[in-house]
Amino acid sequence: MDPKEVVDHLVALKVMRLTKPALVSPKIVTCDFRDLPGNILNNFLKDDATSVVQMETLAAGQFLLLPQSFGNIYLGETFSCYVCVHNETSQTVQSVSIKADLQTSSQRIPLSTQNQSPVMLDVDETLSDVIHHEVKDLGTHILVCEVTYMSNFNTLASFRKFFKFEVMKPLDVKTKFYNAESDDVFLEAQIQNITSGPITLEQVSLESSQHFSVKSLNDVEDSLSVFGYVTLLQAQESCQYLYRLTPKENTSTEIKLPVAAKNIGKLDIVWRSNLGEKGRLQTSQLQRITPDYGDIRLVYENIPSKVTVDEPFSFKCKIVNASERTLDLILKLRSIQGSSLLWCGISNRKLGPLEPGNVKNIELTALPINTGLHIITGVSLVDLFLKRTYDYDDLASVYVC
Amino acid sequence: MDNKPSLSQYFSSSEVPPASQFFDEIGSSPSDMIQSIYLGENEVNTTTTTNLFSQNVTTALTQQKMPQEMTFANVLPTVSGSTAVPAASLPDPSTFFDTIGPEPQIGTSKSGMATPAILTEAMDGLSIKNQAVDIEADRRRDAWIPTEEAKKTLLKAQSSPKGSFFPEREVLTMPGLVLEEELGDALQEVAVKYLGVSTAGSRGVVRADHVSRDEAGLRELLRTGYLRAAVNLTATLLAAAGQGVGRMHRPTKHTPRSLQLWLTRFAIMVRIKLHEPLLKEAEPFGDLSKPDMFYQFYPDTYENRTGSMAPFSLRLLIAELPGHVGKPEEAMDRLYTMLDVIQKMLSNLQQGKTEDGTGTITSEQDKVESIRLWTGRQTRVLHSIVNCAIALKDYRLASKILVSLQKQASSPAQKRALSSALCRLWLLAGHVKAAMVHLEDAREQRHHLCPTPDVREYVDLGLIDIAHGKYQEAANNFARAADQEPTNIMVANNLSVCLLYMGRLKEAISVLQKAINSDPERGLNEKLLINLCTLYELESSKTNEKKLNLLRMLCKHKSDTIPNVLECLKLG
Repeated sequence: MDPKEVVDHLVALKVMRLTKPALVSPKIVTCDFRDLPGNILNNFLKDDATSVVQMETLAAGQFLLLPQSFGNIYLGETFSCYVCVHNETSQTVQSVSIKADLQTSSQRIPLSTQNQSPVMLDVDETLSDVIHHEVKDLGTHILVCEVTYMSNFNTLASFRKFFKFEVMKPLDVKTKFYNAESDDVFLEAQIQNITSGPITLEQVSLESSQHFSVKSLNDVEDSLSVFGYVTLLQAQESCQYLYRLTPKENTSTEIKLPVAAKNIGKLDIVWRSNLGEKGRLQTSQLQRITPDYGDIRLVYENIPSKVTVDEPFSFKCKIVNASERTLDLILKLRSIQGSSLLWCGISNRKLGPLEPGNVKNIELTALPINTGLHIITGVSLVDLFLKRTYDYDDLASVYVC
Repeated sequence: MDNKPSLSQYFSSSEVPPASQFFDEIGSSPSDMIQSIYLGENEVNTTTTTNLFSQNVTTALTQQKMPQEMTFANVLPTVSGSTAVPAASLPDPSTFFDTIGPEPQIGTSKSGMATPAILTEAMDGLSIKNQAVDIEADRRRDAWIPTEEAKKTLLKAQSSPKGSFFPEREVLTMPGLVLEEELGDALQEVAVKYLGVSTAGSRGVVRADHVSRDEAGLRELLRTGYLRAAVNLTATLLAAAGQGVGRMHRPTKHTPRSLQLWLTRFAIMVRIKLHEPLLKEAEPFGDLSKPDMFYQFYPDTYENRTGSMAPFSLRLLIAELPGHVGKPEEAMDRLYTMLDVIQKMLSNLQQGKTEDGTGTITSEQDKVESIRLWTGRQTRVLHSIVNCAIALKDYRLASKILVSLQKQASSPAQKRALSSALCRLWLLAGHVKAAMVHLEDAREQRHHLCPTPDVREYVDLGLIDIAHGKYQEAANNFARAADQEPTNIMVANNLSVCLLYMGRLKEAISVLQKAINSDPERGLNEKLLINLCTLYELESSKTNEKKLNLLRMLCKHKSDTIPNVLECLKLG
């Protein structure tokens, strides 16, 4: 990243991006002792400063190599670079200072440098600084470095250099929500590595909004990740994280959920790549589509998963008034033609007035007459005021054996 | 021997016992070949030295402790050369392949790192004991199972009456030279261009003219680092063997000698990165599965000898080739094919059969030796597979293999070295937590070797600090490592890199310069030069003179071993 200099200045400016260094190894060529080259090549290898004693044939070296190219930079990573001003003349140069800014498409960010005040540079001396900046924008960035110094004519001279780079997107995050009957919300987050190399997801967590408490379902016992020991993602690979969000008490009673409960929370992702190069991203507030329950919400509770044929079984039915007015309801139990479940108890039962937000619990009993997996059908509610009938035919199944 | 001022002094004779004496003594007492020299590290309990060696090479060993309580019997035979042996004292090339006589240790006076079991297992051939001409040893070393297709041809060759076997062209390996031009001394060429003839001329040049035109001369060129001249000499010798330029795709006679020449040639070409001609020249060999690569193909010449005429090292080198040109997945396929054969051979051995499964092994010692040899070669192949996996950034596979190697590892030193390698592997993958777990393992295993942290541990700690972005802590760890081994080039280099990230460019430069001056031969390393020249370029736009100084040092201290001088020095 070193464009040609046009004018001869007393000082020279050099900039180098400091990505993490690489670990290198020598060219590994070995021979058997009895081959023509004998041990000569083996000894070359052993004498090489980049080889690891006693592990010469393994290319997992300890020798650090400085970055030899600018490389890629991704959103959430830290842009670090070394800025160096060198006195190129044979006399001292006065009042030398560097100023660095980062120009993005939307803003210009001053990058703090330690040495703000101008200094004197002796012959062959340098003024240098290491700049760090966490990249928070995508797209074109321009690093603008300005060097000011006192020229031979006792006037301030300055020049600028521009270093342009593109910030790319490192991860693709896809989310899916599932609203469970129990009011829990399940969030499935698929994180895809769209960088050019492998990355390790160091931390993926969901910071839930105030309406929910969150439980990560990505660990097995002993807080070991379900992905095992390795959370390494090769380029283009993705993995899924699952979270269960339980509404906090105060929100769960208000059935007409406030809009805020659409906000689930934010995913916070920390990853590392080559030699620990770190990146961190937080998604924007994730929003779910809240289920529309209409005026009445009916939930079955405590349904046994398995019942015996020809023996009646009971379960609870919770009816919630999700409307703004008091409801007057009738519960109908119809044994539909061909259905394997027969209802026991009274149909056309009046449930009495139900205030907005209030809950009515009733117990239902049914008799299974056939084995197999059967959907519970035939429950209807009639709103006497609107004369409307609501059918609940597909809410739960029961296994009869 | 020539007495040119240049390189014979470079391998200063004062440090070396009189070559003839050295060679004679080794030759007369073969068991004394087993030796291992210890430089620095912590492997005190696995280090040994023989009386012969400590007497003869005192200068080379003065800084080291000499554990006297070592018993010889429990030490794995290892080799590490530490003396320079003039070509004249090498065995007569004509007998080189026929006898299994003692081979002198060749190498620079610098080499001499401890070589306990780990290296032995990976660089298997280093550890073959001296034995009289030994049919068993030949069989072990050359063993290889031909492919089903080759087997058919070999059976035909064996069963045909003498003189009546005429193989089809398809079953023949028909190599020939592709690289036609003589290679010049690359460092010399750069020196002439940038420093002028006079400065460049002070190097000990044109070594090629001073050595004999045979294998001994070839080894001498290799040993003294005139690698391009050595490539030229292999071309001459191969042409004389009828496999020169234009001979590709023509039937030819293979001998162990010609294949050793190819091996030498290819090995050097890999080192100096002559990839393009190398790939072309290696192409006719395929994967060395043609029947004419086996002794059974030539019943008249080699009678009952079996196994691969192509040395194992050539097989490995050719399998690894695609990995050197950016196709590690191809190399990986070939290496797994090799691994499969080796595993079959090992399973044959376990069942009391010979490697290729055709006979039975009678001697228990023979079996043990062979299992040891082939387990070592298996490890070497697995290391190559790991290297391909690392090149592909497939850290899961690399880790899986290393973990399995660690389970088989027999000594604490090996286990420790593998934990340390796993630590770095996970750092490459950005999995710092896993790296720390492995470092902790390595630390525990290190306790079996030495009570306090050594260079390797400090360096690994420093690397983890770097991963965390804690450059000051990393520098402290590298400084601790430097306290233990002030001349360690790698440690100095890592410290210098750290200093740059801490904003201390000038110090970073001076650390590297000091490292080079303290040990120019090791310090003038390709990668270190790249680091130093990167720092020069960052510091100032007037770097030419500094780079030329490095070039002068290269001319003074190095021969023709660095493949790309211009790139290293960022010249031109």
